[in-house]
Amino acid sequence: MTTPTGATTDGDTSRPGSTSDLADNASADAPADPGFRGLSPGKLMWRRFLRDRTGVVSACVVLFFVLVAILAPVISMIYGKDPQTHYGQNDPTLLTDSGLPVAPNGGMSGDFWFGLEPGLGRDVMMQLVYGIRTSLIIAVATSLLTTVIGVALGIAAGYLGGKADFFIGRVIDVLMSFPSQIFLIATMPVVTSLLVTPGEKIPEWLPFVAVTIVLSLLGWMGLARILRGTALALREREFIEAAKVTGAGPMRIIFKEILPNLWTPILVQATLALPAFVTAEAGLSYLGVGVSEPVPDWGRMIAGAADYLRTDVTFLLFPGIAMVIFVLAFNLLGDSVRDAFDPKANR
Amino acid sequence: MSSRKSRLAAAIMVAGALTVTTACSSGHSNESAKTGASKAPVTATTISVGTAEDSKGPAIAEPGAKKGGTVNMIDRDDFSHLDPAMVYMNYNAEVSLLFTRQLTGYKTAADGSQKLVGDLATDTGSTTDGGKTWKFTLKDGVKWQDGTPITSADIKYSIERTYASFVKGGPTYIQSWISGDKYREAYAGPYDGKGLDAITTPDDKTVVIAFQDAHPDANFTLAMTGYGVVSKAHDTKEEYDKKPFSSGPYQITEHVNDRSLDLERNPNWDGATDPIRNAYPDKWHMTFGVQAQQSTERFMADNGDDKNAFSFHNQVHTTYIDKVKADEKLKSRTLEGLTPYVDYYYINNTRIKDQKVREALVKAFPHQQTRQLQGGTSYGDYATSYMSPTVLGYESYDPFDVLKKPQGDTEAAKKLLTDANALNTTIVYAYNNTPVQQKVTEAIRTNLEAAGFKFVPHPLDSKTYYDAIQQVNNEFDLYWGGWGADWPTGYTSLQPVWDGRAIADGGQNYAHVNDPEINAAMDAAVKIADPVAQGKAWAAIDKKLQDKAYSIPDVYQRSLSLYGSGLGGVKFDTLAGLQSPLNIYVK
Repeated sequence: MTTPTGATTDGDTSRPGSTSDLADNASADAPADPGFRGLSPGKLMWRRFLRDRTGVVSACVVLFFVLVAILAPVISMIYGKDPQTHYGQNDPTLLTDSGLPVAPNGGMSGDFWFGLEPGLGRDVMMQLVYGIRTSLIIAVATSLLTTVIGVALGIAAGYLGGKADFFIGRVIDVLMSFPSQIFLIATMPVVTSLLVTPGEKIPEWLPFVAVTIVLSLLGWMGLARILRGTALALREREFIEAAKVTGAGPMRIIFKEILPNLWTPILVQATLALPAFVTAEAGLSYLGVGVSEPVPDWGRMIAGAADYLRTDVTFLLFPGIAMVIFVLAFNLLGDSVRDAFDPKANR
Repeated sequence: MSSRKSRLAAAIMVAGALTVTTACSSGHSNESAKTGASKAPVTATTISVGTAEDSKGPAIAEPGAKKGGTVNMIDRDDFSHLDPAMVYMNYNAEVSLLFTRQLTGYKTAADGSQKLVGDLATDTGSTTDGGKTWKFTLKDGVKWQDGTPITSADIKYSIERTYASFVKGGPTYIQSWISGDKYREAYAGPYDGKGLDAITTPDDKTVVIAFQDAHPDANFTLAMTGYGVVSKAHDTKEEYDKKPFSSGPYQITEHVNDRSLDLERNPNWDGATDPIRNAYPDKWHMTFGVQAQQSTERFMADNGDDKNAFSFHNQVHTTYIDKVKADEKLKSRTLEGLTPYVDYYYINNTRIKDQKVREALVKAFPHQQTRQLQGGTSYGDYATSYMSPTVLGYESYDPFDVLKKPQGDTEAAKKLLTDANALNTTIVYAYNNTPVQQKVTEAIRTNLEAAGFKFVPHPLDSKTYYDAIQQVNNEFDLYWGGWGADWPTGYTSLQPVWDGRAIADGGQNYAHVNDPEINAAMDAAVKIADPVAQGKAWAAIDKKLQDKAYSIPDVYQRSLSLYGSGLGGVKFDTLAGLQSPLNIYVK
């Protein structure tokens, strides 16, 4: 009987730098069953992930939030309300003289499913739906940006060593010693004023860009440090030596030899960073330096609702619960992704 | 009078753990919204000038009051100044009533009507030349806290002292009336031994003040705490601001900055000489740093020491207004009243010269929406004049039908703009960047955009808000500001804000109105000796300001506040817009 197994082992050995580590892990995980030997590390990770029920559920929740964000205009059309109209102020029967919803439970009704925002009387559900967009756009953009910066600087420091490593390392030390929350509050107005000329209307995209820049500025160091350590270890490995001997340049070594070995920590870090940026963004808005009116934003909603804790608790309830579910699902998903990629780490 | 700028307070965010016990909250009554439109019109209060008989002590007793006990006071901020010469803010002036006396003061009758009476002086002063020279005679038995008598030399010294270079932020009326606008160049204060010739003291009891021009209402000016008496023997210059030497019923025992102020009885104060002050409690304990939301919750809970507490300035927090109004138990200790402050949305007349565009702004402005965001009817009554109803001569006018359409008439405004060929005029609206003001900005944006303006919101930092809009060359078209009269006549209500010659960086003419006709009318009105005729003249100026749509009067500010159940005699002082300490007693 002829067996094609030799071909796969040939494939592995032909690219020593790329997947050998993961392949080792994978084969250690399921060595006995020859049927699994042909699976790529990606597929193995996917199978492990599907076995993790928490991970699947939180992935569904995350997917739901992403879908709601993408389909926000469609939801608005079907539901018949938009996030900008001041329903409560246009119809005097909805809000009291001092701006509280007339109907019980924060004005929840067939027309306004999640009730009305006290004061302006905007629809809470539409505010929430469009608020997801704000959070997601900023969090995803920040995650991407910090990942790119972290990967570039981390690998550069680890691989190049010497002065470059020293310099980047000190920059990371300095930035990490900053009290981040205070730094964010202080830099937001500066960044905004750099980007806009006084007397002109602040464009809608500007707060997004400003928050992304400010969050990215202090968000990349963790990943860079991890990657520096890993790159430092990889640098001494035989396959790098071999690549060097065959005359590969540093760019080729970094991108073709080292980087493919770092996808696990990068992905894990990025998925865990995303919910952190969601809360950080909400925190900035809560403190009044984030995305400004009229763009719907969860942090600002929660800040505003805190004033109504005793008089209109419903208004706090919806953004509060939505925020908890959203961040929790993302965090659990991040954990599951890590477990799936790197089963030895946590078991 | 500058107000405490409560809207400008940077909101301090307290991140707390939220424990939500129930998902339900009850609905809120909409009664006032339904009846709100037909609210009774504001009645003007009148202040009369009392006689020598009215000026005799003691003050009108509060029924059922008894002496003794300690009264607590909780408020957001410490008093920024206690040195009389530097007191201008209503909040500082109100506490100063307890330890600083002036030549004149306001006496409140049981029915709430007020009279100007002599405080240290036997009457409200006399003038024989239409208000150019004023003569005051001091009462017998008025003493400092160490028992030495207060003499006419002290009065002279107190006014001389206001010229000193360290005195900042106090009123400057008397100084400039005596020595002209650049009064500090004419006289440098009493510390180098020189006196002011314009003030003479023929004997220990008599003081005569001579002005360059006639000022028939100077006796109102002298009722300001800014012209309160300062002891020459105990003058510590800059240090005096922390612990002034008392001439009133109480003296300061301890003042810890931003924490507390404690007062005890002044044994040398004689109630028989004082027509204004009832001094029932033995001690006052004042603490600061309590935000409006906290103080509202504490007054509602009414526990422990808070039972005997009141608050000069902290009002019911916006979110609690409905709850407080609906609660029958709180009714007996709720104070509501009209303050002397009028809110304006100033139009920058340097940038918007077309009257039709200004009219469109006035027409389109969403008074109802912005008021609802800030507390509804408790926030204020829609303004139909530039002068407050608390000012002598007030008349309601309303040429733009604000009362009929408080939500703003965007269609009429659009028509005005189209006629003026000014559609899409850019309006840069500067606002104080707080959560509430962001929402107010949204309400204004909605209306102005509907009226055909291009709306550009420009957020400003709370701390620098006034500095920014007080620049003459500021690049904003519309901004909020409040103003209250220093004494209830048209002069201080209108002149500082609308006199074109007062336009300056850091000045009060926020709208940059410089209308020769109005300037001349103001000069003429000041000289009218008869208060009623003078009031009419100011009302005419007020109407002219409205006809030309120079700015947008928004509301006459109201105040809604609470105090503890253990106190009696807590009243609302309409002249300051604060809770008055004068009749308070512990039950």
